[in-house]
Amino acid sequence: MAKKLKITNNIRRLRFFADEMTQQELAEKAGVSRQTIISIEAGKYSPSLEMAFRIAEVFGVKIGDVFDYEVNGEPK
Amino acid sequence: MSYQEKRSVVNIIIGTLVMAAYCIYTFGKYRAGAIDLNHLRFSAVTMLTFIGIGVGAIIVVQILYHIILSVSVAVKQSNCDKKKIGKAVESEFVEDEMDKLIELKSDRLNMIIIGIGFITGLIVLAVGQPPVIMLNILFLSGGVGSLASGVLSLYYYRAGIR
Repeated sequence: MAKKLKITNNIRRLRFFADEMTQQELAEKAGVSRQTIISIEAGKYSPSLEMAFRIAEVFGVKIGDVFDYEVNGEPK
Repeated sequence: MSYQEKRSVVNIIIGTLVMAAYCIYTFGKYRAGAIDLNHLRFSAVTMLTFIGIGVGAIIVVQILYHIILSVSVAVKQSNCDKKKIGKAVESEFVEDEMDKLIELKSDRLNMIIIGIGFITGLIVLAVGQPPVIMLNILFLSGGVGSLASGVLSLYYYRAGIR
């Protein structure tokens, strides 16, 4: 059986370093709804690869700097 | 509460009201002896009327809600230029992949309930009940399915979807 993956993210931290960018601003720049940004940030929704790239592009970082994963509760 | 959540709540409320009105009206007619269980015309006309009322109510409320939300966003951003106001209003109504996934999953529940209603209706016919009962089961399963899908989408917006 495949190991359980948990997608984690650094969006809150990246928003802080982007001059305390609001969730609304991030949503507008990434072309998604604020509800989706809230869910992703809270770890309640794992975005598609395309959306993940768009969010990373907003912050000007690589996708791995925004999203990470844990295997069975242990960081990769 | 986001626009999508509010839209789900509005649809649930309208769906519940239309279903309740249909049940009260039909049960009242049945008690008064105005329904012939072997003739479907009355039920068909009543169902079409209530479906029309439900669809019309949802369209009108959604249009009014769009207008009110757009105005309230514009008022909030009144110190910004027109372009920024337009962008803010637009971003309120954005539908993305998460919305589509939630819609897909909640619609699946709707289809399952309608399917169960259809099978139940066939069983009811098979045991010799009048066709009007089957028609009502189909109609009510459609209504219940729509309500359940609204509640499920609200749940997904709150609890998240993985």
